[in-house]
Amino acid sequence: MSASSQPLLAVEAIEVSIQSMPALRGFSLAVQPGEMVGLIGRNGAGKTTFMRSAMGHLTPSAGTIRFDGVDLAGVARHGRAALGIGYMPEDRGLVPQLTVEENILLPVWVSKRLKAKERLDFVYGLMPEVAEMRGRKALLLSGGQQKLVALGRALAAGTRMLLLDEPFEGVAPALSQRLAEVIFALKGERLAVVISQSDLNHSRRLFEHEYVIERGANVGGTRRGVEASEAPSHPLP
Amino acid sequence: MSALKSLNIAGAAVAVMLGLGLIAPKWLLFLTTLAASHGLAILGVVVLTRGGGATFGQGLFFAVGAYVTALAASQAGISDAVVRVLLGGLAAGLVGALVAPLLARYRGIFFAMLTLALSMVAYGILSKSTALGGTDGFNLARPTLFGAELTGDSADYVLYALTVAVVGLASAWVFVYFRSSSGLISLAVRSNALRVEYLGASSRASLALDFTIASVLGGLGGALTALALGHVDPNFAYWTTSGEFVFAAILAGYQSVAAVFLASFGLEIVRSFSNLYFPTTWQLALGVFLLVVVLFRPGGIGSLWADRSRRPGARKRGERASVKGGVAP
Repeated sequence: MSASSQPLLAVEAIEVSIQSMPALRGFSLAVQPGEMVGLIGRNGAGKTTFMRSAMGHLTPSAGTIRFDGVDLAGVARHGRAALGIGYMPEDRGLVPQLTVEENILLPVWVSKRLKAKERLDFVYGLMPEVAEMRGRKALLLSGGQQKLVALGRALAAGTRMLLLDEPFEGVAPALSQRLAEVIFALKGERLAVVISQSDLNHSRRLFEHEYVIERGANVGGTRRGVEASEAPSHPLP
Repeated sequence: MSALKSLNIAGAAVAVMLGLGLIAPKWLLFLTTLAASHGLAILGVVVLTRGGGATFGQGLFFAVGAYVTALAASQAGISDAVVRVLLGGLAAGLVGALVAPLLARYRGIFFAMLTLALSMVAYGILSKSTALGGTDGFNLARPTLFGAELTGDSADYVLYALTVAVVGLASAWVFVYFRSSSGLISLAVRSNALRVEYLGASSRASLALDFTIASVLGGLGGALTALALGHVDPNFAYWTTSGEFVFAAILAGYQSVAAVFLASFGLEIVRSFSNLYFPTTWQLALGVFLLVVVLFRPGGIGSLWADRSRRPGARKRGERASVKGGVAP
């Protein structure tokens, strides 16, 4: 179904307004299966708006978002995780009263496909440090630890694609390094990953594709290994 | 705590209550019966509150349970107390399940106002219905239990015992539900409904489920109250009745099932005694009491022990969660 010619996620010229303020203006993006894509833009450029639109919180007034050929406009908000999309919001959003493990299992409980043991083994295998805090309440974790758990939860739900909203933002450099390590260990897992970032940091060279967003619109994309300053912005696929 | 352990605890509590009932004076027996049956309705409010829904209309289900229990005897000739109570709970659950999908579209104050509106519509209908005795209501036929007639003092004890048994079973059920995956998802919906949707759970479905459970509990409570009082009237659906349930639910907090019945018992005690000594101002005492709880124990009286018991066992709980996750759909 998803041959390499057909992108896993195809966003075509979407327009999204938040309280009549245009936040995305004809934004397009395509992610191939298993591809690691960076979404770079300043604060307020529309990165989070794009992710929220993909997750169904915001509805585009024009344009389409397709996942594996299915138009997401017809998929309920809670139906998107069932397609295999894992989302890590910028502000983590763990459930404070639940333990780390319960937080990670939350998407598994409501899914008909996912097996608890399999997903936990996968998450704990990638992040043994999360396994160590599995019994602790999310409330009692530090901000950085919460970020790791939020990544774990996105990994539990996202069997085909991850949307990570500024995963490296607001954490200590060592932890940011660790997060990058975990995320890039996913290469070759046949898991597509979209990472939004406000600056071009160490993770940059690892992207197969990079989109730059400014004021809600595409301003250019670069292929891996080509510096933005050297290459003229080339047309999007 | 496992499901079996919670059932054991509930069983032990029921046994103790049944024993105490044998030696309790008649007034205390009656008061405890009412506290326990009201407690069920309050437990329903707690279930809903825990899942992020605020209700001012629990009286609707309380009344449905009570009237169905009353009508089962007068219209259908069913006199067995157990069957009547189950019918009351079932009928209320049906009504709850019917309106739940509509209500679950709303949150917060809109949700609460809709529940209030529904219960007041029921109040209006019951008050205007001459066949059901209008605002006076009507008396219930005396129940039987497993074919035996209930008479005199033994009837009081039997109704007390029935109430305690139903409370025990319902509490164990709620306890298990709270720790099930659906129960934990309700907790997540309460803290942030949107996040839960991102993870693939429908917050509407979760709220609708909690609402339906709350309605079943309200119905059971109403049915048992009607049997104990021997009388039903539209006040069962009146907003002050619903308000009292919310009051007791806030008092109890949502962390402990036992706290709900303690709060209900406290409320009944305060109500009967203050009614006796200062009939016009007793709500004042309740108000002050609630203020103190909200200020110093915002988690309710249940947070006195529930917080403590969950902390040290955290690691063990985590291990159990993985097992449970494996079974959950």
